[in-house]
Amino acid sequence: MTRELTVMMLTWEFPPRIIGGISPHVYHLSKNLAKNGVKVCVVTCDFPGAPQHEVVDGVEVFRIDSYKNPSPDFATWVYLMNVNMQKEAAALVNRLNGRVDIFHAHDWLVANAGIGLKHVFRKPLLATIHSTEVGRRNGLHFDYERMIHETEAWLTYEAWKVICCSNYMVSHVRWAFGLPEDKLVMIPNGVNLQEYTRNKNINFSRFRKKFASPKEKIVLFVGRLVYEKGVHVLINAVPRILEKVNAKFVIVGNGYMKEPLSNLINGMGLAHKVMFTGFVDDETLKNLQRCADVCVVSSLFEPFGIVALEAMAARSPVVVSDTGGLAEIIDHDVTGVKVHPENPDSLAWGIKKVLLDEKHANWLTNNAHRKMLEKYDWNKISRQTKDVYEAVLKEYSKSFWT
Amino acid sequence: MHVIVLSWEFPPRIVGQLAGYVKELTVQLAKKNVETNVVTYHDFLTGQHEEPEGIKTYRVTNPVRTHIGVLTWVLTLNQEVERAAANIYYNANKQIDLMDVHDWHFIQAAVTLKKAFNLPFIYSVESLEEHRSHGANYPFNMAIKSIEWLGLYEAKKVIVKSEWMRDEVTRVYRVPMDKIKVIAPKSSTWMKDILEIYNSTMRGAVLK
Repeated sequence: MTRELTVMMLTWEFPPRIIGGISPHVYHLSKNLAKNGVKVCVVTCDFPGAPQHEVVDGVEVFRIDSYKNPSPDFATWVYLMNVNMQKEAAALVNRLNGRVDIFHAHDWLVANAGIGLKHVFRKPLLATIHSTEVGRRNGLHFDYERMIHETEAWLTYEAWKVICCSNYMVSHVRWAFGLPEDKLVMIPNGVNLQEYTRNKNINFSRFRKKFASPKEKIVLFVGRLVYEKGVHVLINAVPRILEKVNAKFVIVGNGYMKEPLSNLINGMGLAHKVMFTGFVDDETLKNLQRCADVCVVSSLFEPFGIVALEAMAARSPVVVSDTGGLAEIIDHDVTGVKVHPENPDSLAWGIKKVLLDEKHANWLTNNAHRKMLEKYDWNKISRQTKDVYEAVLKEYSKSFWT
Repeated sequence: MHVIVLSWEFPPRIVGQLAGYVKELTVQLAKKNVETNVVTYHDFLTGQHEEPEGIKTYRVTNPVRTHIGVLTWVLTLNQEVERAAANIYYNANKQIDLMDVHDWHFIQAAVTLKKAFNLPFIYSVESLEEHRSHGANYPFNMAIKSIEWLGLYEAKKVIVKSEWMRDEVTRVYRVPMDKIKVIAPKSSTWMKDILEIYNSTMRGAVLK
């Protein structure tokens, strides 16, 4: 190719607009693609105070009017926002004289825009499926949910390739939408390691004192306090752990299970050993992950499990339940400890194993860190993504659209 | 001249008066040697057809089958309309002069195509949400009104069928009078007026 490959990323969130995991994902992917010689234009929803057009770390970002009238419901808003998104994106591609090689859409939230642009400019469309409606809702119960599911199916139908972040999601998406195997590509999610290297200027023992006494080990849980995240499994494991180790359980996050969980802990007489912090800012969270003696991911259902990766990047040992994407991230007794899902005894065993054997814990964190560099490094992930772009463009060059 | 007409109803699918009007319009255009493509909806009779009257039709269906209302139904159907119109555009070696969009349903497709190809469109108003909703102004109605507004804003010209409608479009959406042309369907100069506005609005037309 004589000129550099140009990709237009379509995403409903991009920093500073952060709603879920798509925003940091698209940010890191775009930035590292740019470093690897891909020209990236991100088209995304506007955000108060963020400019309509700016260049962020070598990435061109265009923010569109995201439809601000009241909407009947979320899905209708999504479709209305897509009217504006594809209108603005079409004008942008026109200004670039059609010099966009690939449209890359993230989730059904930008399905309409991605599909429209594909056909209007006759360029390939790629889709990353981060999550599915049938997975989020554990089934399809209403027309509203079926409509979103069918929109997701339509996006995967129109896409030349569908990218998922774990083997678990590959098989889930295949099942949900009936896709051929050769249409799916697994490229893992990543974590920016530099963000987790220890800041020498911070006094960690002072920071630590805010959460636990020096004699207590810190057991950290990060996640929404909802049933499928399995916080209740950890709570039920607490007495069994305290029999052998003096520890403080720090639980970061919010959710509808906060009150029942607090009641459960009070009933067990363990209020002094379990601390709920609610939401914390990014820096506090990272410092907690750096200080923790073990990070626990006790989910019952987990498409990917980015918190486990974050803990690994922060050099904290991890104990995870053997399910979904988590099962793939961790090699048992090599990069972390895997335990049976929804089993407090098994979880307590795993946590004690890490807390009682510091040498083993260090070995696990060193292995985990090496694995991070090998597999979950954004630079590497972006190169894998670029390879997919190039493969698709090669196919495209033989199609009747060229 | 080569035009693409977008209408959500066209025989054999007849919902209201619009189907008959668009059929008559396109038959007359074909008689005047205007190459006429109609993009419209049909649940199962999809694809491209050459009608005996010399019109080419391209019928599409909705890729998303389950919906919670007409609004979401329209918003996803538009992508197929857009795809069909883009196919016509490329198959004609990009030599399309104008789009004529009837009512709000396919405004979304028309606006994207305009932005992508610098292809002007005319918005032919059959009715307005203001009157259909009898003053209701729920988010549902506001969304349809915002689409009508977008169409009126982005259209190069607006055709209405009565002076009353011209006044209503001006009152409700503050569209300048000189952007609106009243062309009554049954008037003796109907086709002459239509061709005149097509000629003055098409891509590359010299403004008088």
